[in-house]
Amino acid sequence: MKIIGLNDQEVEAALRSAGLGLSVSEARSIAEVLGRDPTVPELFNYDTMWSEHCSYKSSRATLNEFLHTTGPNVVQGPEEDAGIVAIDDEWCVVIAHESHNHPSQILPNEGAATGIGGIVRDVNCMGAKVVATADPLRFGDPYGEDKNHVRWVAEGVVDGIWQYGNALGVPIIAGDVVFDDSFDTNCLVNVVAIGVVKRGEIIKSRAPAGAGEKGYDVIVIGKPTDSSGFGGVTFASEELREEDEEANRGAIQIPDPFLKNVLFKANEALFQLTRQEGITIGFKDLGGGGFTCASSEMGASAGYGMDLDLDKLHKASENLPPEVVACAETQERFMLICPPELTPRVLEIYNEDWDLPNVYEGARASVVGKVTTNGRYITRYRGKVTCDVSIEHLTKGIRYAREERPRKTSLSEPVITAPDDLTDALLKVLASPNVSSREHIYRYYDTEVQGNSVIRPGEADAGLIAPVRGEKFGIALSVDANPFYGRISPYWAGATAVAEAMRNVAAIGAYPATLTDCLNFGNPEKPEAFWEFRECVKGLADAAKALWLKGYEDTPVPIVSGNVSFYNESPDGTVDPSPIIACVGLIDDVRDAVTMNLKKAGDSIYLIGPRFDELGGSEYYRTVYGVTGKNVPEVRFELERNMIYAVIDSIARKLVVSTHDISNGGLGATAAEMALAGKGDLGMELALDSAGSDLSADRLVFSESSGFLLECKEEAEEELEKLLKGYGLDIMCLGKVAESPELVMTHKGKTVLRMDLETAKKAWTGGLAEAMR
Amino acid sequence: MKIAVVQFPGTNCEHETLVAARSAGLSGEIFRWNRPAEELSDFDGYIIPGGFSYQDRLRAGAIASKEPVMEALREEAELGKPIIGICNGFQILVESGLLPGLDGVNVALAQNVMVSKGEIVRRGFYCAWTTLRHESPPKRCSGSFLLEKGDLIRMPLAHAEGNLVTADERLMDRLNEENQVVFRYCSEQGEVDDEFPVNINGSLENIAGICNPEGNVLGMMPHPERSSFAFQLPPTDARKCVGDMGAAGPGRRVFESMKRYIEVRR
Repeated sequence: MKIIGLNDQEVEAALRSAGLGLSVSEARSIAEVLGRDPTVPELFNYDTMWSEHCSYKSSRATLNEFLHTTGPNVVQGPEEDAGIVAIDDEWCVVIAHESHNHPSQILPNEGAATGIGGIVRDVNCMGAKVVATADPLRFGDPYGEDKNHVRWVAEGVVDGIWQYGNALGVPIIAGDVVFDDSFDTNCLVNVVAIGVVKRGEIIKSRAPAGAGEKGYDVIVIGKPTDSSGFGGVTFASEELREEDEEANRGAIQIPDPFLKNVLFKANEALFQLTRQEGITIGFKDLGGGGFTCASSEMGASAGYGMDLDLDKLHKASENLPPEVVACAETQERFMLICPPELTPRVLEIYNEDWDLPNVYEGARASVVGKVTTNGRYITRYRGKVTCDVSIEHLTKGIRYAREERPRKTSLSEPVITAPDDLTDALLKVLASPNVSSREHIYRYYDTEVQGNSVIRPGEADAGLIAPVRGEKFGIALSVDANPFYGRISPYWAGATAVAEAMRNVAAIGAYPATLTDCLNFGNPEKPEAFWEFRECVKGLADAAKALWLKGYEDTPVPIVSGNVSFYNESPDGTVDPSPIIACVGLIDDVRDAVTMNLKKAGDSIYLIGPRFDELGGSEYYRTVYGVTGKNVPEVRFELERNMIYAVIDSIARKLVVSTHDISNGGLGATAAEMALAGKGDLGMELALDSAGSDLSADRLVFSESSGFLLECKEEAEEELEKLLKGYGLDIMCLGKVAESPELVMTHKGKTVLRMDLETAKKAWTGGLAEAMR
Repeated sequence: MKIAVVQFPGTNCEHETLVAARSAGLSGEIFRWNRPAEELSDFDGYIIPGGFSYQDRLRAGAIASKEPVMEALREEAELGKPIIGICNGFQILVESGLLPGLDGVNVALAQNVMVSKGEIVRRGFYCAWTTLRHESPPKRCSGSFLLEKGDLIRMPLAHAEGNLVTADERLMDRLNEENQVVFRYCSEQGEVDDEFPVNINGSLENIAGICNPEGNVLGMMPHPERSSFAFQLPPTDARKCVGDMGAAGPGRRVFESMKRYIEVRR
């Protein structure tokens, strides 16, 4: 394509008419480095590799500045497809976390399904068995102006997740769903996958040492390449405009969990073969950026070049232009780099043993080229060289220094007169789509497949699996982020998301071992959006640093994987800042974990965490009064750390039999959920005067300051109090588990809340189903 | 006693099913669909595990039921060897005519339709724990050989199409008269109520599992392999944390029954 000699307007016109997202200056810099006009396939390769999605060109500097990605338990930081931390001397947990926001807004079912499909490949390609997924979701207001569209998106996304995840055979053990009008035209669909692998059996997504010198084969495995998903990463790196919707549909990939299921089994046979033979391979999934991204990164990260023949790649049609073959994001594909002597056995595994060509039309494993030592990224098609560029220049990407400017808001605390009786207010909060039981959704998810599930959605604050038969250890998983806090303070949204994700795994007795962050924001070219992004990253990094890895003082909880999703914006506005955090917790023996349902009448209920006047962004303000407020919950780092570790220790010492953290809906919702999670036959009688605060009753009940409620085992009170004091925590025994199915709260000699659990259950179980109807 | 866990493209419960069978004292292996079908005759019994064979194309189980390995299994069934189909395995056995085994295909496992108080309250995929009441006399059926009539066992289910229907008005009478109804969905206390959530998928007469007239072939929608270890139970079940990681859950009785059935036949 001609660039040299043309003026800026002419270059701009040429780029746009070709469908490229590159800027004029980017295109000129490429021509300059090449010393000639680039070919069209070359420009598409650069467009892909230099997109925000692949290159993190706006975010990289901020991430490097703030995030702690190393730690004593880190086996693999964020530079590969998935991060890895050690469980014990033998086993490791692998985690990856991504967004699939734009595709899910346009085609909810396919978008969400390919989100799951992509993230499980990231974990599997490290040599791991994928053992669980989680899905944090954000939808628009189900009762607002766009309600019909919002519900269509929500239903389609949930369908896409279960149809893919259930068929693949990976249990969905965690997730969250928040409805907020800032997501009316930009839903967020994040996906988390975890796997297990032995430390000595991890496979890297790069060409192995010696691959260039010995001319290792490059093999593409899976579905035949078609044009689906062409332009996907570029589409993910622009704002969504309604008029582009038709064109954008083509950028969405097509899911196939059936083929993936067979591919995973064939991959396991490949992994077994390489372990037996002691051969090191490189293995990577083909995801965003397709063939170009996988092949160039696998070569460049090992300092090698690539010589690839697109004619040898199996395709759905022979009429595809070279740039489509190279950059399409056809799903269910992997790339393997192996010594040539292994190749015949690899082809046998995929093409004969697992019979890919008969399982799916056109699917197979094909040798497409060689690793080289010349540092060039060369592709050939129909006998011609279609790309010949420096592999390092192609993959190292570019960096932009973006401007930041605080977003101006005019939020204030409301003046409210609380009713004397808070029962109705709590019922409203329990019925809110953001607080009510998630059962309507999780019954669609196969939470039991693989037979490893110990704690499922709805039973506790985090899911728990025992992923290796014969071993006692468990992996807990939770996800969190509150967009309403993000609207008020992006910094505290980042910090509270980390704290709550950690509290969630602590609440079952697991210690937080690692975090991942999927950072969902608006257009980074706008200084306010970029400011929100930086504030969130600062907040979450500060919290990870201050809350410490258990057993190590002053050592941050490492963040080993993550993703940045910008451009979650349309002409109608931007999404509330959403730094979605996933936390992996570990527990030595899954049978020591506790759930949140009340266990026994007469047990004492303790509050951990003093209540503060922090109702900004709370469910109470929004649901009962229709206001946002300003006093967002803050994370008091030392207090938070002591709370989290006191809870983990009290569970390990078997002093508490149920726990639930305090978050959306405050102490009131937490107490109600503990009563409703079981059979609903046990209630609670709580005296708010013991909460050690002079706040009014409604603030005590609904403040979302962080904390926990604990149910103490009979006659363990003294020991629990001693443990809590040892952590410098106030002793706040609020009352007892009651035999009657009723939640009662008193304050200053008056009953301020009396709610029968039958009524509460109706409100709590109906809210989400009603919102998604 | 060696069993084959038959694997089709799209099967996804073969590993935990084999683990559960082994915990009951059976030995065995996973048998890939494109192995020579005649090798199946080396085994003493067969399990067709859950999953989405051939992506549920056409109907759940329809394509797998036409595979050569199913023709081989039909011959083994005629020899009286036990076959247990779980979830998608049940669907495959129905599509192949092995169940209910009354000349041709005369029942179907249709889409779940949950009905309460005359209203449809939900449709489609559903994953939850349920309780099964054992309906047939002891020793009637391979997979429930050790169970007494009226025994209750808890296990989870997870499917979109498990709603047993038939167009044959006399079929239910025949199944009941011949004791071919092996399991029904019931409450934790054992009451059979045809309303959701007890009748969890809308099945005729709450049917969760049936056998063929000879009793050696059993199909059931719920998953005994997901309830073969105590740690798998829900937190409200007092048995959950008793014993070690190998401690038995209620579902193991199905595999123990299969083992006993093979022993007795010898």
